[in-house]
Amino acid sequence: MGLAELATDREVVQAVLAGDVEQYAVLVRRYRDRFARYAARMLGSVDAAEDAVQDALVRAFDQLAQCREPDKFAGWLFLILRNRCFAERRRRAREGRPLNAQDDAVAAPDRTDGRVEQRERSGALEQALQKLTAEQREVFVLKHMDGMAYEEIAAMTGATVASLKMRMHRAYDRLRELLKGHL
Amino acid sequence: MTETYHPLVKRLLDGELSLNDLPTELRAEGAEALRLLGVVDRAPVSLPARLDARVMAEVRRRAYSPLRRAWRRLVDPRDVELRLRVRPWVVVGGALAAAAALALLVARPAAPPAGGRAVLMASRDSVYVRFILYAPDARQVSVAGTFNRWDRDAAPLVRQGATGIWTTTVALPVGQHQYAFVVDGARWVADPAAPGIDDGFGRRNSVVAVTAQGARTL
Amino acid sequence: MTRAAGLALALAAGAVLPLVGQEPDVAAQLGRRTPPEVVRAVQAMASSASAKGLPAGPLIQKAIEGAAKGVPAERVIGAVRALADQLEAAAGALRSGGIDHPDADVVEGGAYALGAGLNVDQVRELVRTSHAPYDPAVALRVAATLAALGVSPKTTLDVVEDAINTGRSPSDLLDLPSELQARIAHGATPAQAARGLGRAAAHAPAGRPPGWAPPGQQKPHKP
Repeated sequence: MGLAELATDREVVQAVLAGDVEQYAVLVRRYRDRFARYAARMLGSVDAAEDAVQDALVRAFDQLAQCREPDKFAGWLFLILRNRCFAERRRRAREGRPLNAQDDAVAAPDRTDGRVEQRERSGALEQALQKLTAEQREVFVLKHMDGMAYEEIAAMTGATVASLKMRMHRAYDRLRELLKGHL
Repeated sequence: MTETYHPLVKRLLDGELSLNDLPTELRAEGAEALRLLGVVDRAPVSLPARLDARVMAEVRRRAYSPLRRAWRRLVDPRDVELRLRVRPWVVVGGALAAAAALALLVARPAAPPAGGRAVLMASRDSVYVRFILYAPDARQVSVAGTFNRWDRDAAPLVRQGATGIWTTTVALPVGQHQYAFVVDGARWVADPAAPGIDDGFGRRNSVVAVTAQGARTL
Repeated sequence: MTRAAGLALALAAGAVLPLVGQEPDVAAQLGRRTPPEVVRAVQAMASSASAKGLPAGPLIQKAIEGAAKGVPAERVIGAVRALADQLEAAAGALRSGGIDHPDADVVEGGAYALGAGLNVDQVRELVRTSHAPYDPAVALRVAATLAALGVSPKTTLDVVEDAINTGRSPSDLLDLPSELQARIAHGATPAQAARGLGRAAAHAPAGRPPGWAPPGQQKPHKP
């Protein structure tokens, strides 16, 4: 419905809570891709990202009444997704599965400029990112791929700006080490 | 062993400085570092179209589950979600960050009683109560209360797949009961969605009242 | 306590016991893992309660709870004692409210109300208002639950009395906490949600408490 798209997050949340379950589709449409890149980078594949985002949206519905500030639905959804991504990574680590999927990798999309070298480096960076800790990877993805400022990341994840910078700076050094010879 | 980047170069990477801000001797290192960022793939990721339909199918399934349909037969349908999902719970850091719980009562059909307390006292009926806790990082969850002598092993909850939701159904006698969830054998957590009272030991217990005439979250 | 005194107490308790009925076997109920000093203290308090016609069950439950939660012995004894005092205060309020021989259920309801923040006068008043067909035990429990949900004791009293005085059915009383919670879920504070709660008509539109307005259109409330 055209009109429904103009409703604020708060209005949609309240409509859903009042019983109009179908309105939840508005929020799904609105946020399905917002954190897709984050999930894909954290989990190493688009398939895994799809599962995680789907799961997070369903959980967000389940707990909709616990969303304290419906205006900040996006941030709240992000936290649910983030928990899910971290849990998935821990689960894979426990099961001894590799943290990066080789097939369907997110790295090196089709570039029409045909720069093989670029694609190669991009792939190498992607693999190197997988070797960072979850927290290091997260701050790198959010800042350098999603373009968020440290303050924004701090607000979304609950970490302090100082600790985020510390993680990032360690990530830079680790990446330098891992990518020696590739750059 | 590779050297670490100079702190000024890191600030360059953070976007706080430009290459020209660096002292001359650091510019080569700075340029190398920027090449690293240069290969970052910033292409947006689009998820397959089927995601919306899948989410809504699952949402509908949960909204209209048989358990909730039974509940709706007893109470005003519109209020179901609101009555059961009440206490907003702030999501903050920590293992129990997103813990949220619902007490869902399913009553056996009974004729409305003529009197009040007489029925409560005389009835030996039990009512099935479903306890639900969202605790994705927990390794074990149980519910303990006055109905099972606070035995943390008596009523374990079962994790529902990968959802992070734990549930169990317990037959409770008519009357008022206090309870709390026990997470990982040691942490006592009150139900954020239920009324809480001081347990006398510095924590809070949750309260649920089960009546013969129907289910009420009291 | 000296042995002689202890024995005397036991004998005295034994003399009184047949009059009040079955004395719960406290030690057996508390289990072997309860520290002996807690067992002794709870036994004494349970006997004392029974002698006064008060329910001993809640005291034993509280001790079991404390042991299960790993609470230090001293604190358990303190909590049981506090509960015993509450039961006694509740019974007193009930008697002065017009119930000469309050049974265990209503005494526990009274203690629950006191524990939730109502004072003795408020308990007494609530009991006086809950004439038939209203059940004072239910009225007390509902009031206590409203207080536990964040409504001030005074407002809690108003809400329950409103419900009774405007003739809402006794089973409607049981719905008050859920109605309050529904309003809170819509964004009201407990104080705001309690306004007019008791008086709300039984035929109010489902999910929409009277006076509900979409977000952004609500007039600011004065708490």
